[in-house]
Amino acid sequence: MTDRERFLATMHFQPRDRAPICDFGFWSETVELWKSDGLPEHLDENTATDFFGMDRFEGWVGVVDGLDPAFESVVIEDRGQTEVVQGSDGVRVLRHKFMGSIPQHVGHLLTDRESWNKHYKPRLTPESPGRFPGAWEQRVKRWRNPQRPNVLTLPGGSLYGWIRNWMGVEAVSLAVYDDPAWFEEMVETITDLVCALIDKACSFGVQFDTCGMWEDMCYSGGPLLGLEHFKKYLLPRYRRITDRLRNHGIDIVWLDCDGNIERLVPLWLDAGVNCIFPIEVGTWGADPVAYRREFGRDLLMLGGFDKHVLARGKQEIEQEVDRLTPVVEEGGYVPFCDHRIPPDVPLANYMEYLCLARERWGRGVDLKPMGKLWHAMAGAAP
Amino acid sequence: MNPLESLTDAVVRGDRREAVRLTSEQIDGGSPPKEILAALVAGMDTVGDRFQRNEAFVPEMLIAARAMTESMAVLEPLLAAQGIRPEHTAVIGTVQGDLHDIGKNLVAMMWRGAHFNVVDLGTNVAAEDFVNAAKDHGADIIGLSALLTTTMPAMRQTVQSIREAGLHAKVIVGGAPITAEFADSIGADAFAPDAATGVDIARKLVSA
Repeated sequence: MTDRERFLATMHFQPRDRAPICDFGFWSETVELWKSDGLPEHLDENTATDFFGMDRFEGWVGVVDGLDPAFESVVIEDRGQTEVVQGSDGVRVLRHKFMGSIPQHVGHLLTDRESWNKHYKPRLTPESPGRFPGAWEQRVKRWRNPQRPNVLTLPGGSLYGWIRNWMGVEAVSLAVYDDPAWFEEMVETITDLVCALIDKACSFGVQFDTCGMWEDMCYSGGPLLGLEHFKKYLLPRYRRITDRLRNHGIDIVWLDCDGNIERLVPLWLDAGVNCIFPIEVGTWGADPVAYRREFGRDLLMLGGFDKHVLARGKQEIEQEVDRLTPVVEEGGYVPFCDHRIPPDVPLANYMEYLCLARERWGRGVDLKPMGKLWHAMAGAAP
Repeated sequence: MNPLESLTDAVVRGDRREAVRLTSEQIDGGSPPKEILAALVAGMDTVGDRFQRNEAFVPEMLIAARAMTESMAVLEPLLAAQGIRPEHTAVIGTVQGDLHDIGKNLVAMMWRGAHFNVVDLGTNVAAEDFVNAAKDHGADIIGLSALLTTTMPAMRQTVQSIREAGLHAKVIVGGAPITAEFADSIGADAFAPDAATGVDIARKLVSA
């Protein structure tokens, strides 16, 4: 089976040769550390995925659903180990120069209706010229082949997460109360944009496979936005988008949200968002096994393997692989670590995990080849 | 509902104009400032309770805190004139290497809402800066926040520095990757799973 056939069969609970073997990626620090244990020098966090023989579950089509044109990215201030940068979203952040991490917001252009109308709304029109990538026609021609090997993923925007990023948590939280009509207008503008792009992309005769949305709207205690506000402002608009997708034959709609998502999952399902990624286990113990018990086959899942288990040792890794295996076997679930592999995971442990994943979930069938290192470290592993 | 209960209710609803109006009305009417303060703090406590019960979320905490802050701006001169100051001081910051501040800001806000004097050191704060600030301000509480697993060792280091400095302040830790077990293991006095619980814990520690 191709990556696409296997992924679609998995997410539709249909027969397949094996489960997809995927990853979320690696911290650059992790890859560098692993080099002292034998990982080839030429690898980085972008190329390690292929080196480890991973299947693909996503394939972005290059449609730009965010700000277009983006803001110019510029360094505002160099502070030695850190720097203040204005990013492509217009947000000023303080970030580490030499360490991969989530930056701190230090300034926002989006503060009120005026700045919305001046800086952001004009960058959220579907007609802007940068929305579709160059050579779109040639790409589309290739993608029309029903036998194409890779999954094609349409972008589905972000109804809260982007606004939260553009304004900051405090400002968007206050806006919901101080000017709800404006908050609603921002959400509606993004929804209109996403729907228009979906329609246009699908008008070229390609059967796209999935749609990926992004929110990151939860923290360890639960959602950043109250459930009533979620239901009032977001849910109907998710539904507009997912209805549109289903009309175009796209029935796998995944949403990327970190943090404790437990209370939002039923609402997303109600809104037609049927797949969650990457199921951050966190200190709150999110668990694909429990989700399957609670939501049955209505909820598709990507991720959910506790990355911290990888730092603990062989026995713990095997226990976790075994614990997840029944859900993997049932389908509707592609397991992988719930974020990038952190530097406290020894390469030998990661190899142990991969060996087990390829054996138990991959059944040793038609797996992608790995580098020589694999054979040296894992012996007779598949 | 009596006027002070109405004030509490205005804070709970995050109705800042009404809260300020009622605060001014109470001041003009000669209510003891301590009672007005207690009504405001009661509002924040109610929101904190609701937050812990998952009936209120971050926006509701923020609008309540704003109503409290604006009311306090009216009340503060009167409190100062009568020598009523926060009984306890808390120093708070995100540990070294960590640039995240949302959780830390929420805790600081809730502590202020409980009428603690809060010294916010910001993010990426070195262990010695926590120690020095706690000494300078005579802190009763030190709050340490971390979002990243990679900065948890810095939290351990900070607790160690605080202990080595012999400070009497109680250390409360929190953040997405932090657990009660980790808090115990690094010698912190308490773990706060969320901002509202952070108030309960701080009160308990300073009254112990």
